[in-house]
Amino acid sequence: MVKYALIITEKPDAARRIAQALDRDGKPKKVEENGVPYFLAHRDRELVVVPALGHLYTVIHERGRRNYYPVFNFKWAPRHLAERGAKQIRTWVETISKLANDAEDFIAACDYDLEGSLIGYCILKYACENKESIAKRMKFSTLMKSELEKAYEKPFPQLNFSLIEAGRTRHEVDWLYGVNLSRALTLAARRWSGRYSTLSTGRVQGPTLKFLIGREKDIRSFVPTPYWAIKAETEIKKSTYEVEYERKRIEKKAEADAIVRACRGKIGKVKEVRVRKSIQKPPTPFDIGTLQTEAYSLFGYTPRRTLGIAQRLYLDALISYPRTSSQKLPPIIDYKKILNALSKEPAYKKPASKLLEKEELKPREGAKEDPAHPAIYPTGNLPERTLSDPEKRVWDLVIRRFMAVFGDKAIKQSVKVRLEVDSHSFFLRGRRILKEGWMQFYNPYVRTEETLLPTIKEGEIILLKQVIRDDKFTNPPPRYNPSSLLKKMEELGIGTKATRADIIETLYSRGYVTDERIVVTDLGFDIVDILSKCAPRVISVKLTRELEKKMELIQNNNEKRENILLEAVEQLKPQLEQFKEKEGPIGEALSNAIKRARMQERIIGDCPTCGTGTLMILYSRKTSKRFIGCTNYFKGICKTSFPLPQRGTVKPMGKTCSSCGWPLVRAQIRGRRPWRLCFNPSCPLKEERRKPNEM
Amino acid sequence: MKCRICSKEAVKKYCELHEKAYRNILQKYEDWRRATTISWREYLNDILKNPCTGSWAKEVAERLILDGDS
Repeated sequence: MVKYALIITEKPDAARRIAQALDRDGKPKKVEENGVPYFLAHRDRELVVVPALGHLYTVIHERGRRNYYPVFNFKWAPRHLAERGAKQIRTWVETISKLANDAEDFIAACDYDLEGSLIGYCILKYACENKESIAKRMKFSTLMKSELEKAYEKPFPQLNFSLIEAGRTRHEVDWLYGVNLSRALTLAARRWSGRYSTLSTGRVQGPTLKFLIGREKDIRSFVPTPYWAIKAETEIKKSTYEVEYERKRIEKKAEADAIVRACRGKIGKVKEVRVRKSIQKPPTPFDIGTLQTEAYSLFGYTPRRTLGIAQRLYLDALISYPRTSSQKLPPIIDYKKILNALSKEPAYKKPASKLLEKEELKPREGAKEDPAHPAIYPTGNLPERTLSDPEKRVWDLVIRRFMAVFGDKAIKQSVKVRLEVDSHSFFLRGRRILKEGWMQFYNPYVRTEETLLPTIKEGEIILLKQVIRDDKFTNPPPRYNPSSLLKKMEELGIGTKATRADIIETLYSRGYVTDERIVVTDLGFDIVDILSKCAPRVISVKLTRELEKKMELIQNNNEKRENILLEAVEQLKPQLEQFKEKEGPIGEALSNAIKRARMQERIIGDCPTCGTGTLMILYSRKTSKRFIGCTNYFKGICKTSFPLPQRGTVKPMGKTCSSCGWPLVRAQIRGRRPWRLCFNPSCPLKEERRKPNEM
Repeated sequence: MKCRICSKEAVKKYCELHEKAYRNILQKYEDWRRATTISWREYLNDILKNPCTGSWAKEVAERLILDGDS
């Protein structure tokens, strides 16, 4: 049997790319064994490139039943032993173990970060039987052939064990928190009600929900305060311009009225014309957080979706590794080469050529650094397949941002004209771009508005055409959206760049939060309420951040895994004991919260017949069939009811019919597309649909 | 004692959450009075109609109107 080097990658797409890059002819042989693909390549020796499927190993309870807590004994095991839907992991691990038997050399080629290092380590240690100490490590930031070849020719002689230790600790600490707290919640509710519902919280999930609740409380108890503004318009050379009153906020209505009376129909004199130039530096390169924020504000993509798209673009070798915190672009990536390659695409030809004309290409960089990877940049490769629209958008955004960072500073001019009417001042503002600079490369993603003013001189007389009082109210603090929440988590230093987006999704999937502009549900409130009474330390943002910082120290060999684990257990133990003592009342509170949440899910909207009742999805006691009925039926006031489809799922949409205004429901039968259902029998839309059939 | 609005455990008249909204209502009335001449009753009606008012504050305002709290 010919001995070979076994190269382990994180995903099948990465394995294909690496095998293609390393094979002498660029045509590796694909083999599939029990559904597990791997690639045979020939270079200076035989190579077998085998992918993982993300994490193949996870932390599990060492022994014992699932239905008790606290549990502090754990071990690493293949994922299929812990997760129901992970059956294929068994064959995956078996295949890798088999391939490891005949390998003489081992190379980890997973993503060079915390998760990737841990994935490679676990496979080498468990599936390949303790090969982690002899394995080499390939490090690369793009899946470009040249970079992969370099990484293969000059691998690190050993794995990055401090990164692995940091990754292991993070997973183990998260497991300790997640499994104990989630079991405590789930078991308390089950023991009280006898019914099973998945309830979860975690080391980061709990504190995140807690600060969302802080904002929710401020919004729900908010009382607006009135204030007034003065709106005025002026006409200059037959064009109308809006002018601002000197004070943006007037606290008393009588005072606002007095200003309006004093200025209405009056002529103003230009007292001052101030022209200022301001410089706007180019943006910094994208790290994953800023890419997610920008993609959300431009395209409305959730952070998780953007991360998924960026990951696909990386696996297609179109952009560099996206899970980076860096805002630096080192010259080693060869800016000119990338721009030259991009200029082959007609859309980027002009801007890329313009940049290439510059004497020196120097990117504007941000402060954030990442020792493992540079900021996100395009590789210069062009797509080999047709990209989906979202992929095209994110790729284009990365390219234009990359070009913009090399652009010159933009110069803006702002004009502020002070107009005096009696003793009151009004301001007329103009804004224009004098030099586009980097903005020309970042179009159409530049957000800037120009207001051009005619030439105005001091002493000029201008008529205030309209002066009115604008009644205003203070607004509650804004709700978080997935993107601003991710930013806030980053600011608070909780979670990692790889986990934050998933944590937000979990909050949605557990039903703790809802809507794009995040609203905390009653269930979310109850969970945090219970935890803050019984285990306040586990939802403390401060303590979570402190633990996070300590875990970061492991990466730099300044802290030990054992100390962190001990600290986590010491923190959890008393909290869980306290929880157990109060399990009865907690279970009751949770069961009621779940019941309320389930009821809430069935509410359709106000009853259009009686006006006071609520329409809900109900089940007939006689036939068990579901229908929509009014809650006033039980009081003997309203007998309104509507039939519903009996197959599939039916959920309130939270929207109303555009034609009749009645609430809509969403129905879905497995394997079919969902449809919206207006249950109003006299809905004009239904009437319209019926007419052609009758004719 | 139970909250007069949601039947949760009350701190004084209301639960912790509605109590917070109640305190806000009382506190903001001073601002409203300084800004414009308005009676307590008119104030409660105004904040009840205002789309910026939070849901708990609305519930408390409604309760105060029903109770004829003046």
